[in-house]
Amino acid sequence: MRKLVILFLINSFSAFCFSQISNTLPGSSAIAGTSVSDSRNWSAFNNPAMLGYIDKSEIGLQYNNQYLIPELSTKSVHFGLPSNLLNTGLSFSHFGYSRYHEMILGVGFARNFSDKFALGVQFNYYSAFFNATNSYRGALLPQIGLSVKFSPNFNIGFNTFNPFQSNIPTEFVIKRLPSVFSLGSEYFFSPELVWRTQIDKEVSSNYRFATGFEYQMLQNFKVKLGAYGSDYLVSCFGLGFKTGSFLIDLNCDLHPLLGVNTLAAIKYRF
Amino acid sequence: MKRIIFCIILLFLSCVVNAQDVVTTTEQLIADIFEQYTAESEETIDYESFYDDLMFCAQNPINLNQTNREELEKLQFLSEIQVENILSYVYESGSMQTIYELQLVEGLDMTDIRRMLPFVRIGESDDSKKKIYWKDLVKYGKNELLFRLDKGLETKEGYQFLPNEDVNMPPTLANYLGNELYNSLKYRFHFKDRIQFGFSAEKDAGEQFWGNQNKGYDFYSFHAQFNNFGKFKTIVLGDFRANFGQGLVLHTEFGMGKSSYVLNVTPRSSGLKKYSSTDEYNFFRGGGATFKLGKLDLTAFYSNKMIDGDTVNGTFPTIIKTGYHRTLDELSKKQTVNQQIIGGNLTYTNMNLQIGFTAVHTSLDNKLVPDKSVYNYFYFSGSKQTTGGIFYRYRWKKLNLFGETAVTDKGSLATLNGCYFNPVSQVSLVVLQRYYSPEYDTFYASSFSATSRINNESGIYLGAEVRPFRRWKFAAYADNYRFPWPKYGIDAPSDGHDYLFQADFTAKRNLTMYWRLKYEENQTNLSGSTATMPEIVPQKKTSLRYQLVYSYLNFSFKNVLEGNLVRIAYADWTYGVIASQDVSYEFPKIPLKIDFRMQFFDAQNYLNRFYSYEKDVLYAFSIPMYYGLGSRYYLNLQYDVTKKLSVWFKIAQTVYADDRETLSSGNETISGNRKTDMRLLVKWEF
Repeated sequence: MRKLVILFLINSFSAFCFSQISNTLPGSSAIAGTSVSDSRNWSAFNNPAMLGYIDKSEIGLQYNNQYLIPELSTKSVHFGLPSNLLNTGLSFSHFGYSRYHEMILGVGFARNFSDKFALGVQFNYYSAFFNATNSYRGALLPQIGLSVKFSPNFNIGFNTFNPFQSNIPTEFVIKRLPSVFSLGSEYFFSPELVWRTQIDKEVSSNYRFATGFEYQMLQNFKVKLGAYGSDYLVSCFGLGFKTGSFLIDLNCDLHPLLGVNTLAAIKYRF
Repeated sequence: MKRIIFCIILLFLSCVVNAQDVVTTTEQLIADIFEQYTAESEETIDYESFYDDLMFCAQNPINLNQTNREELEKLQFLSEIQVENILSYVYESGSMQTIYELQLVEGLDMTDIRRMLPFVRIGESDDSKKKIYWKDLVKYGKNELLFRLDKGLETKEGYQFLPNEDVNMPPTLANYLGNELYNSLKYRFHFKDRIQFGFSAEKDAGEQFWGNQNKGYDFYSFHAQFNNFGKFKTIVLGDFRANFGQGLVLHTEFGMGKSSYVLNVTPRSSGLKKYSSTDEYNFFRGGGATFKLGKLDLTAFYSNKMIDGDTVNGTFPTIIKTGYHRTLDELSKKQTVNQQIIGGNLTYTNMNLQIGFTAVHTSLDNKLVPDKSVYNYFYFSGSKQTTGGIFYRYRWKKLNLFGETAVTDKGSLATLNGCYFNPVSQVSLVVLQRYYSPEYDTFYASSFSATSRINNESGIYLGAEVRPFRRWKFAAYADNYRFPWPKYGIDAPSDGHDYLFQADFTAKRNLTMYWRLKYEENQTNLSGSTATMPEIVPQKKTSLRYQLVYSYLNFSFKNVLEGNLVRIAYADWTYGVIASQDVSYEFPKIPLKIDFRMQFFDAQNYLNRFYSYEKDVLYAFSIPMYYGLGSRYYLNLQYDVTKKLSVWFKIAQTVYADDRETLSSGNETISGNRKTDMRLLVKWEF
């Protein structure tokens, strides 16, 4: 009982403080975007420390659509390769359409330390296409992640994307790139039921608080339920399927004003 | 026999807890202790001296079987009650057989004992009065040379137009004369705890090192201290400090105040001690000695030094304590006033009682005349001042009474009285009453206070520390105070309340955490008020902090989350948030240590600002202030080139995301939203 109270306190405090992450960054299949502490799933451009926990090579594709507007969609692909010394990941994402688009290419390295904690660092090249000059401009940004398992059931995760707040200067404007700090926790009530909380802060946006539950109803099927709050409280639902080495996730968020966001992800573990 | 068996069991148990600890080095331990003291402080506190004293104890551990109160009080993290209990245990049991017997001392838990371990030992022989031979000095004496360089990467406004750049341009009063480098050089020697001497030289960034205004370093300091030579307990020469009683008359270094060490509220009476820091004001320059006459200690000292002040026609309005001499204007105020101090102390100590008398006379060759304003109406004005005080400490059963009462030659009074109480081993309490009259204003007083000055204040402080369960410690204090006369920023008499509650939980040896809740309520001037009579309004601040420290293998991690809410009068609450992630790693095969921090802060208002400790090069202690929206990160490296030669390097950058185009103001202005600092320190021991 005392252990539960402590975990609850840690969870509450870690949920106390961290935004509306820029739409241009790919989301994750974790419910309500609670990916920073999702120790069973590594997603592109989310916490690179989670790359440290993969024990099989994997490749994944993801499509993330905002408000059912095709121009506001982010497509990403990632590939993870484990090894004894370091796990290596390669990620790419594309946001936008022909007249305006942003792309990120990332190479990440992570290591799991005796399953007690994992550290990851990713080097991202962020480039944007400027129609006015018909040219691409870009900047190199680091991403740093950490995950610590305090017990087999409880872990916390920390991730920062573009911590040095690098921007892309052009002839006319300075394109501000998202700089995000995230902190979250994950608690397994049982191997089937997991609860995650997360706080994100993109430095120029509001804080984003998120929480969600994922429940493995059947061996090959799970349901996900959560919510996040920034300006509005947004409800999130999701489903997960497993068939052979394929993992499929379908998530949707219901924004009270702007409509539906959808995410579809497919991953193959070798 | 039972005690021996118990000690053996303890010894075995303690072996279990030897491998992994949250705090791995003595340096880190000292920094952590200092952080606990200063977490709530907004003042610049001299970390060098604090570090020096504790490091000296680590190099010359206190023999618990031969110790006394004065020695144990050097371990500032121990409360008065704990010091009393250790002394009492040694007195009653004869002597300790093993260090782990400390677990039998009331009021000491494993955390306290682990903190003590680097600084204490169990020994038999007492060589503190043995004759010293020259050959021993040469053979066993330890020398240390430290060289430090600091530089900001962005060019500040004050360096934009160096006079050298254009010979036709005369230096203005405002521009910095020197370059952007901060540099200090220190040499120290010590032979056990008997002989210490050394010198320091320092040049602040912006101060001229070699030019027409200055040649060489801006500040030089020399010190020598000799302990236990015949009847002389201590002899100090050169620069030194003096601390007696509860600090109402004399206390020239870091004084205790309100902190999460809720029981440590008054400064320690450490007597005369060498001064080896680079603070350019808070020390004496001359000499002094303490004679031991049985249970009596008699101290006399004399100091004669120049201090800074804007002297015009034989008067100056305030003593300038910054030590900056970077511009012609600042140089014109350098060392314009001669300050002479003569003082003495007589202290009687026995097992249960300590009583002492301190007197000090200060004389200035120019008259200090503050620019009169309501708040400083009673500040000291003149060129001579004499202050005297009586302090006491008395142990009666489980009560430890202490206090000091001081008066100046103008009859103004300051008094502080309190009691430590340890009803059962799990509970420790302290109560402290203070009254400092508005007229009481002395040069070197430092003691328990709601502000940095020892005057114009009365109040009652209650502190409690409870250890109800094995892994939990709860600490709380409540402080209610009044300022009977206006203060700076408060144009009418006012009052305030501070409350703190902290819960510490040690889950495992390598996993600790605490929650700290603090509430402060005081008063401030109503902004924009046009009323004739001063209007003051309440100001409230609530803050909550959570800290988690854990380690695994050679890694250690620290997470801090802190938030606060501030409200002035009936305006809206404003908030502040700060969060950080620290990772430290000590390489197993190469002598390299790395500390990395990523920190995010968002403080809406200046009153929501944060002060957060960060790791630094040796002898430096950073508590940067965070206000606005942004992030900060740093990398700190320590590399031991050889056993005797070590190098520290730190680079830190703060980036603001709140659209500001310049940082700081005046000569310190930086264009852009980034501020980067680098530090390098080299230590050579021989």
